[in-house]
Amino acid sequence: MPITITQLNIDEVLRYMGCPPDKADAATRALAEESAGQMLRAVTPRWTWRVFDLAFEPEGVRMGGLLLPGQDLKDHLRGCERAALFCATLGSGADALIRRAESVDMARALALDCAAAAAVEAVCDQIEGELQAMFPGCSFPFRFSPGYGDLPLTLQGDLLAALDAPRRVGLTASASNILLPRKSVTAILGISRNQIEKHIRSCLGCPAHDGCQYRKSGGHCGIS
Amino acid sequence: MEFRELLKAPGPILLDGGMGSMLQAKGLALGEYPELAALEHPDWLKKIHRAYVEAGSQIIYANTFGANREKLRRTGRTVAEVVSASVALAREAAEGKALVALDLGPIGQLLEPTGILKFEDAVDIFEEMVTAGAAAGADLAVIETMTDLQEVRAALLAVKENSDLPVMATMSYEERGRTFLGCDPASAALTLEGMGADAVGVNCSLGPREMPPLVEELTRWTTLPIAVKPNAGLPDPGGAGYDITAEEFAASMARLADLGVKLYGGCCGTTPEYIARMKAELEGRTIRDIPRQVPAAVCSGTCTVPIDRVRVIGERINPTGKKAMKEALRKGDVDYMLNQALAQTGAGADILDVNVGLPEIDEADMMVRVVKALQGVTDAPLQLDSTDPKALEGALRVYCGKVIVNSVNGDEESMEAILPLVKKYGAAVVGLTLDRKGIPKSTEERMVIARRILDKALSYGIRREDVYIDCLTLTVSAEQAGAAQTLEALRRVHGELGLKTVLGVSNISFGLPARPLVNQNFLTMAMTCGLDLPIINPNLESMMAAVRSYHLLMNIDRDAREFIAAYGDAQVSTTITAGTSSAPAAAGTGERDLGKLVEAGLKSEAGQAARRLLAEREPMDVVDNILIPALDRVGADFESGRVFLPQLIQSAGAAQAAFEVIRETLSGQPGRETDKGTIVLATVKGDIHDIGKNIVKVLLENYGYTVIDLGKDVDPAAVVEAARKHGAALVGLSALMTTTLKSMEETIALLHREQVPCKTVVGGAVLTPEYAAQIGADFYAKDAKESVDVARRVFGK
Repeated sequence: MPITITQLNIDEVLRYMGCPPDKADAATRALAEESAGQMLRAVTPRWTWRVFDLAFEPEGVRMGGLLLPGQDLKDHLRGCERAALFCATLGSGADALIRRAESVDMARALALDCAAAAAVEAVCDQIEGELQAMFPGCSFPFRFSPGYGDLPLTLQGDLLAALDAPRRVGLTASASNILLPRKSVTAILGISRNQIEKHIRSCLGCPAHDGCQYRKSGGHCGIS
Repeated sequence: MEFRELLKAPGPILLDGGMGSMLQAKGLALGEYPELAALEHPDWLKKIHRAYVEAGSQIIYANTFGANREKLRRTGRTVAEVVSASVALAREAAEGKALVALDLGPIGQLLEPTGILKFEDAVDIFEEMVTAGAAAGADLAVIETMTDLQEVRAALLAVKENSDLPVMATMSYEERGRTFLGCDPASAALTLEGMGADAVGVNCSLGPREMPPLVEELTRWTTLPIAVKPNAGLPDPGGAGYDITAEEFAASMARLADLGVKLYGGCCGTTPEYIARMKAELEGRTIRDIPRQVPAAVCSGTCTVPIDRVRVIGERINPTGKKAMKEALRKGDVDYMLNQALAQTGAGADILDVNVGLPEIDEADMMVRVVKALQGVTDAPLQLDSTDPKALEGALRVYCGKVIVNSVNGDEESMEAILPLVKKYGAAVVGLTLDRKGIPKSTEERMVIARRILDKALSYGIRREDVYIDCLTLTVSAEQAGAAQTLEALRRVHGELGLKTVLGVSNISFGLPARPLVNQNFLTMAMTCGLDLPIINPNLESMMAAVRSYHLLMNIDRDAREFIAAYGDAQVSTTITAGTSSAPAAAGTGERDLGKLVEAGLKSEAGQAARRLLAEREPMDVVDNILIPALDRVGADFESGRVFLPQLIQSAGAAQAAFEVIRETLSGQPGRETDKGTIVLATVKGDIHDIGKNIVKVLLENYGYTVIDLGKDVDPAAVVEAARKHGAALVGLSALMTTTLKSMEETIALLHREQVPCKTVVGGAVLTPEYAAQIGADFYAKDAKESVDVARRVFGK
């Protein structure tokens, strides 16, 4: 199931750029639109997934032999018997495009970086839709990634290994747990046969929680 | 029979099939390390190897694919231990009936520029495996399942430098004909044959049905034997299975004999049954022996440029006569070179000449830095312009692709120093038709030198197609008869020797008026005489126009497509103006304009306005009373939420354009620099998110600070060293991950421990003022604007 992204939400790109959409001047909006177009031509989205049974243990959730430690994911997955682990990447073309812009025009580099962030989100939304369609009648809490709450980023390598991600989609993690290519995500989507209480993705689950400028000014970044 | 003899013998060579999938079938659990099978499940492994030998495999791959130190880190086993055991076990299983290959798979970490693993570290990682594998008795090395050509290069060098093993390299491609990292078969083949691989090919990737286009492309770009080792079809999405049976696999593989494939095997999902059936299908088939002729070409890791028409080499990355570039080299400001590169490729350069020679800098070190940075931003192949073997070797080592070495001359000493490097790294080389006695006046003498260089290159095993001759341009104002001699030599090198030719064109007009006119005409004449690679300034429209016109008139630009694309809706002026394109003397001057233009973020207009203003006002007056107040107004609006980050950066960009004009005016006037103090910036060790740091850099520079940008993933010791060396009063550190905040803390601690007299400012999304204080930073900046406020406090201006 190849994922193709044909357009991006420009308001979202503007928000990521630190510019409230209703206050963006014409030049900034044009920059965001152009960059979104350029980014969409540069990406090669790829993804892979696997479903695991879950076991709840005192220290966390066990997923196919791998312990996912901490309380937050455990609470989040409560009521789910299985989970789909997936990863997605925009490919190295997105990184190269941003790198190129950085040495010439930082405003464009920022816009491209934010367009890529929006594109990753859009890819993940599509994947979530695909996965949900495979499990009719089930319900799903929002997707949860390392770095949310107390789920450590140090899991990235193990999650990628469980998906054979380096070989299947060319996605790796650095020694300091940065996903490379950069514009990539790993996520766990819980699957429950029964109705479960719906949570929305909130600031509490966000890795940027502590330093977030939007939250400090009483606002919200606009991501779900 | 040894591997190289096998390659020469008629008939197909059978490789083995999947290993990982076979181990799983034997019961390898999820989370177990397949690399340890030789130690933990030797019986399974031996059975698998034996089954392949019985099925007909003439070469089996030892289970060392992932036995590198990065992947073994958490197993408590050493590379030597795992590799030796795996090779020994394979040899035991082979019982002399098959050769055993040391298998080198991807490290699992991406190399620079996409990742952070350094090239030399990658070479080192493979070296450890090669040393152990050769000692354990492997018959050859195979480098496989690679998606980054640079990683293949690292492994290939490790094999060549640490063993006598023959080596085969195969990469994994997607259906679009490229690897995940964008490498295409042409670039892979050119680069790897150049560096001395014994066979190249494709493995993993796709199924056998998807192989023909990849194989056909390989046959165009290499004379080496080709290996194909695909998966058992395409994978089931989300599952572990593949979609092709052994019969279908064997039938599809056997058809590849018509394309001349020499080595046949299987990858993921294939079993001994697949190999046995393939053997049966291949029996009685003749491998079609199609003579292959690889044309002259150069490449980067992702882009091949065949020299099958005039290819423009951009000359602008060269400090000769360029104040701003000399300044950039002294400061180590690589961005300047990157800008030059992108401007030239934008204007139509196919290849970029790189010359960073300046007496007061370490050329070898700078060459490596610039080449690394360039390959991060451009696909265009490079021409390394230096006569220093150390600088050339450093750059040849880290460059991913097939470069041009510029240059060697007809002197024995020059040839003996440079040609072995050209051979080792598979480069092409420019031979200058001069020697100890200087540039010969006559055509005949130049031909003698050209032949001498060609013969010497051939004797080192360099391909004829990889020797380009530069017949040398003499300044026509000094030696008017010289131009005709150069053209005649070009004609003869092209016609009699059949070699590709290079020529620096711009020197022809030195000391004359209307230089562009002379240059353009000389270029056209030279192309008519057979010039393939003019070294020119592609930013000059008249020069590119000459090349485009030549391609049009010689019927190379079919249906005039490129010509019309370039000029279809433009009114081309045929008047040639001397000098560079300076700003038009437009009406309307005044400081209000420049200030407004900066506030509006209009780059080129701001540069032009600054130029006009400088005609009537002092440079520092413009900086202090126009530029900085304008930036301050934008900064204040940013703080109060009237403008936002994109506009702030655009204003900074406009101010930067104005600053560049002012710096040009000021440079060379001692004591009148715009410099307000030096700041070192770095994204900390382990972190590679540097966009925020780069935004801060642009802003600080436009307030007149000198910024030493150390880049990303910077070691604490490097920060200390740079702060000392440049006497920086302020060090700015950026981190974007909770996991790399620790590096930030370590860097600050080291600065303190080493008592470097500087203040520190930190920033990044996950930081808070509290945490900044806790790790001992002097200041916290929540955004780029605040970092300027901090700098003002520290420097008092």
